[in-house]
Amino acid sequence: MARRRGRGMAACWYGIARTATVDRAAAWAEIDDGGTAKIATGVTEIGEGILTVLAQIAAEELGIRPQDVTIGDNDTARAPEAAHAGATRQTYMIGNAVALAARQARAQLVDVVASQWGVAANLVETANGEVFARKTNHRMPMGDAVSLCKSRGVVPVGAASFGTDTTGLDPVDGSGRPWQAYVFGCQVAEVEVDTLTGEVQVLGVWAVHDVGRAVNPRGVEGQIEGGIVQALGQALMEDYRIENGRTTTPGLAKYILPTALDVPHVTSVILEDRDPIGPLGVKGIGEPAMVPTIPAVMNAIYDAVGARITALPATPERVLEAIKERERASRHRAAAE
Amino acid sequence: MLYCDAYLTPRSLADAFTAMAEYRGRYRLVAGATDTLPWARAGRAGDVAIPALIDVSAIPELRERRVDATRVRIGAATPMQRFLDDGDLARAMPVMARCAVWFADDQIRAAATVGGNLVNASPAADATPPLLAHDAQVELACAREGKITRRRMALGDFVRGPGKTALEADEILLAIECAALPGYGAEFEKVGHRRSLVIATVCLAAVVRLDAAHAIADLRLAVGGVGPVPCRLHESENFLRGGAATLARLEEAAHMTVGLVQSRTRHDYRRDVLHGFVVRGLASALRRAGGASPPVGELEASHA
Amino acid sequence: MPDLRIDATVNGRAISRPAKPWQRLLDFLRDDLNLTGNKEGCGAGECGTCSVFLDGVLVKSCLVPVAKAQNARVETIESLGRAGALSVLQRAFHKAGASQCGYCIPGMVMAGTAALRANPLAGREEIRERLGGNICRCTGYQKILDAVELTRDVGNGTLPESALAEEEPADGRFIGANVRRLDAPSKVSGALKYAADMTMPGMLHVQVLRSPHPHARIVSIDTAGAQAMPGVAGVVMADDVPGIDGFGVFVNDQPVLARGKVRYVGDAIVAVAAEDELTARRALDHVTVVYDPLPAVFDPREAMRPGAPVIHDDAPDNITKHIPIRVGDVESGFARSDLIVTQTYSTQAIEHAYLEPEAGLGYVDPDGVVTIISPSQNITHHRHMLARILALPINRVRFIMSPVGGGFGGKEDMIYQGILALLAIKTGRPVRYVFTREESIIATAKRHPSRTTLKMGLTRDGRICAVEFRMISDGGAYGLSTEGVMRKAAILGAGPYNIANLRMDTYGVYTNNTPSGAFRSFGALQTQFATESHLDICAEKLGLDPFAIRRVNAMRDGAVTHTKQTLGSVSLMRALAAAEEAARWEAGPPSSRGATRHDLGGAGNRAPCTLGARFAAAEHAAQPEKVA
Repeated sequence: MARRRGRGMAACWYGIARTATVDRAAAWAEIDDGGTAKIATGVTEIGEGILTVLAQIAAEELGIRPQDVTIGDNDTARAPEAAHAGATRQTYMIGNAVALAARQARAQLVDVVASQWGVAANLVETANGEVFARKTNHRMPMGDAVSLCKSRGVVPVGAASFGTDTTGLDPVDGSGRPWQAYVFGCQVAEVEVDTLTGEVQVLGVWAVHDVGRAVNPRGVEGQIEGGIVQALGQALMEDYRIENGRTTTPGLAKYILPTALDVPHVTSVILEDRDPIGPLGVKGIGEPAMVPTIPAVMNAIYDAVGARITALPATPERVLEAIKERERASRHRAAAE
Repeated sequence: MLYCDAYLTPRSLADAFTAMAEYRGRYRLVAGATDTLPWARAGRAGDVAIPALIDVSAIPELRERRVDATRVRIGAATPMQRFLDDGDLARAMPVMARCAVWFADDQIRAAATVGGNLVNASPAADATPPLLAHDAQVELACAREGKITRRRMALGDFVRGPGKTALEADEILLAIECAALPGYGAEFEKVGHRRSLVIATVCLAAVVRLDAAHAIADLRLAVGGVGPVPCRLHESENFLRGGAATLARLEEAAHMTVGLVQSRTRHDYRRDVLHGFVVRGLASALRRAGGASPPVGELEASHA
Repeated sequence: MPDLRIDATVNGRAISRPAKPWQRLLDFLRDDLNLTGNKEGCGAGECGTCSVFLDGVLVKSCLVPVAKAQNARVETIESLGRAGALSVLQRAFHKAGASQCGYCIPGMVMAGTAALRANPLAGREEIRERLGGNICRCTGYQKILDAVELTRDVGNGTLPESALAEEEPADGRFIGANVRRLDAPSKVSGALKYAADMTMPGMLHVQVLRSPHPHARIVSIDTAGAQAMPGVAGVVMADDVPGIDGFGVFVNDQPVLARGKVRYVGDAIVAVAAEDELTARRALDHVTVVYDPLPAVFDPREAMRPGAPVIHDDAPDNITKHIPIRVGDVESGFARSDLIVTQTYSTQAIEHAYLEPEAGLGYVDPDGVVTIISPSQNITHHRHMLARILALPINRVRFIMSPVGGGFGGKEDMIYQGILALLAIKTGRPVRYVFTREESIIATAKRHPSRTTLKMGLTRDGRICAVEFRMISDGGAYGLSTEGVMRKAAILGAGPYNIANLRMDTYGVYTNNTPSGAFRSFGALQTQFATESHLDICAEKLGLDPFAIRRVNAMRDGAVTHTKQTLGSVSLMRALAAAEEAARWEAGPPSSRGATRHDLGGAGNRAPCTLGARFAAAEHAAQPEKVA
């Protein structure tokens, strides 16, 4: 009846953006009055923090602060298509589109300022809310630069799209180029198994994921932590049951989800193997974060108590039964020898 | 959804009985309401229309709390959280505090009442095993022929089966009285599919007092989740009472529960867990009852 | 019986208003007082999105009859702070990155506030327990716990208040900086309006009649009783679809409302719009549908057999999609193998359980544009499909995304937006449809349950010679994303390993179960669970460390994938090394050596949960200080 600990690991890979089809996303950018910026794109914030990520990208490209960037609402009548929220695609597809659109808008502004100052455009930089020309004393706030543009009849805007070079799969042997960016990862899980009840507690997960380039590391951690806990729910407790077509888990009293008591500490390690194709080098994290968790936990349970769970979820009953099965088998072996 | 035409909150027992008479057969009593509202939803009872909901939680008799060195009397509408937050109550009923921390969650415990848990008579009701361990009695009241009369019975007689109690249609569960067990070591063991907001597959209440020689002077064990009603484990108790607390004896006492599990689903699992809970629950309770507890060390050593 | 009159103090203001006797405190706050900061996530006390203080005690307002608020003091999320004037705890949530979709966050903020009110010095384990009634589906709780601990430490002076402030990147570069989420203040304060929080003037409420049968022909539908009810403004069914009916992510096989037959329990049949939700709900009781039950099939393997009931006429074999991948020659690969291991793995159906049940509004704007506001994960595609369904030019259909309270793939399907459009057109008024949790569970897609048989052959040194992989997945009643899930499962299922001989087949199959659809990790999760479990089984038999067996086979820079794509840089070897190092992994074969390994219990683990952290804290506090 002891509580036994064990560890397991698993690796993973994943493709970024839509699978085996051409993906695309567009964005419009405007450097706005006061040195702020406006971005319109069909982005769908589903909680991952993509709006903040896009604001960071636009800010970095334009030399202003993220809080000075306004991202317009997603509206098919008001924003260019950026397709859906899924497939670990938004940072990659829309992030790159926003960067390209912002660069265009910035180029328009820089051209006006460079001509005002009589310097080459490639000497003009934008940073910290200012426009300045290297090797000169020329410098002005971004807001003044926008006013200057407008006084010259220019609204600094940009529009860009980002698409992938991908193909479908051959219907016979499956060959094809489903993605242009891949990510890889690996997780280690440590568990404690109560051999009295069969309960499994996942105490720690060490998660390493290549994300290309982390725009917001805390946001990446949030995706990893959340993904691991979703996977842990599937690993240990969640089970949508259906009998003769009718669910027996019709509400959240029967469909059991992990609470704050049931979750491990997660240590995230972010790897950056930059994407060579997109302008930013970013890839993604949303989905791959949860891929290695379940096998890592099952391998850890095996390490702890020798019970191999191949049918999810590893409920206390199933784990205890597997422990007893193993004990029976080893007694049987001992008797035979 | 639960629909009603009237929601009544009587402030006295007499008013409650008046309302019950007026809506005879057309009302439902509620206290915390934490079970009633989820019951009237899709997948369970579905939409339910009841002419009157009568909320008994404001009746003074149901909110009583008396604790002295030997006895405890608590109104049926005492929220479960009270067993955790009220120091006197927690000392007098150490196993109820241990149980309460497993009961739903902090917020539901703030509303859910001990009486509600008893009258629902779930086979897995968390509060029933600890109260059985306390030899609890329930006090019921009714108004017949214009007079309020009360009766008492042992909790073990009150809970009759899944969803069934001895409560008559015109009765209210008023209060629970039981022995105070200060200084007892206590443990509440529970297993479900997670650790908060979960229905027990098996739960066990254990309380123990040691004598000066560290023999077991008194112990009470009760279990839920393994049959139609929670019950005491008298055979195991009698075997252990008065004897030394050794691991071998705990194991033997646990073995006496083997035939006890009546649940058809997950039968073997429940049998194994009950066996283990008796040993481990008692070992923890023994440690809390008197410092050095031989079985705990032995238990750890035997499974290291 | 007359309505109740509730006299109470809500967020410091006295109120006195009528209420229905059956109303819950949650309805009263949200519908009558417009305090929509606290949400309804489940209606059954299981999720905590509705947590409010009642006389200073935190309760789940979906479980509180409104009469219990009589003469009470109620505090909602709106009382704690607002953008620009957030409470310390709200600022800590902002700083820590504790909010993602935000739907659980008002309840979490309330629970965190309650935890620290109860014990301002609560440790992490006690905080966990005190938050145990609140579900979050996005964050994994870690940053929420961090935020509560940060609040505690600022509160007791261990940390300065500046710990709550934004960290400006020193170099002015924002890519790579931990910029605080821009949308967090609106989420931690409850100010953000999700679709169920929105109202429009003249708005009607929608309810939907759903099939109780898994498979049945619809003989007749009689809606006259519902149409005649006072307060009912419109009733729609399949006949009201003007264009080409059908939606789906890959194939448009699901009608807006059941057409001729129902294919699962929960299939939508008739929708009603009425002046209030209760009337719409009651109107459903006055719709009569006559069914002719058909033989149903619930197991995908049975559905694939000849003679099984056919669910969609254009898929007589019930196969939604089969994806094959072929590399080399598996027979010769197995012939060369020293070890062959075959094992079956199965995974269950999983509910997305985003805290925000589906909700949306529909209206026809003054220019005649049919407009849908909903938390859709794919408004672009929804607009295409709805324009075809409504037979309208595409710019006469407009989708506006409302804040998404969690999606995970489950809000890619256009499950209810067509219903909103039909009723908005029919009634000429704005309509709103808010799912209950139970409706969300019964009607919307799940993660595909799967059954995989995996046969792997390896050499003695752990090199994979051949893999035969066959997965059968239950796609349920409609196609939704099944095709894509099968494709991703096949491409990624054998893992990031060099496999010279591979026979991979994934099958998505129609049944009469709840449909399966898109769910975060989309087929890769089910298949890589099998492969990564299998590698450990093989490693034990070969006496190899789990990392070592993966390194033997790992794709490296320039690797060719199973679909014969040549990769550039491959980060797998770096990921393996980094994980080994971060976890301080002790090498050895996976032979149940937990009892003897030395890398357990170190940094990076939480303490095991033994309920009662508050007892430990109390016992600790009760002990007299030791005198040296």
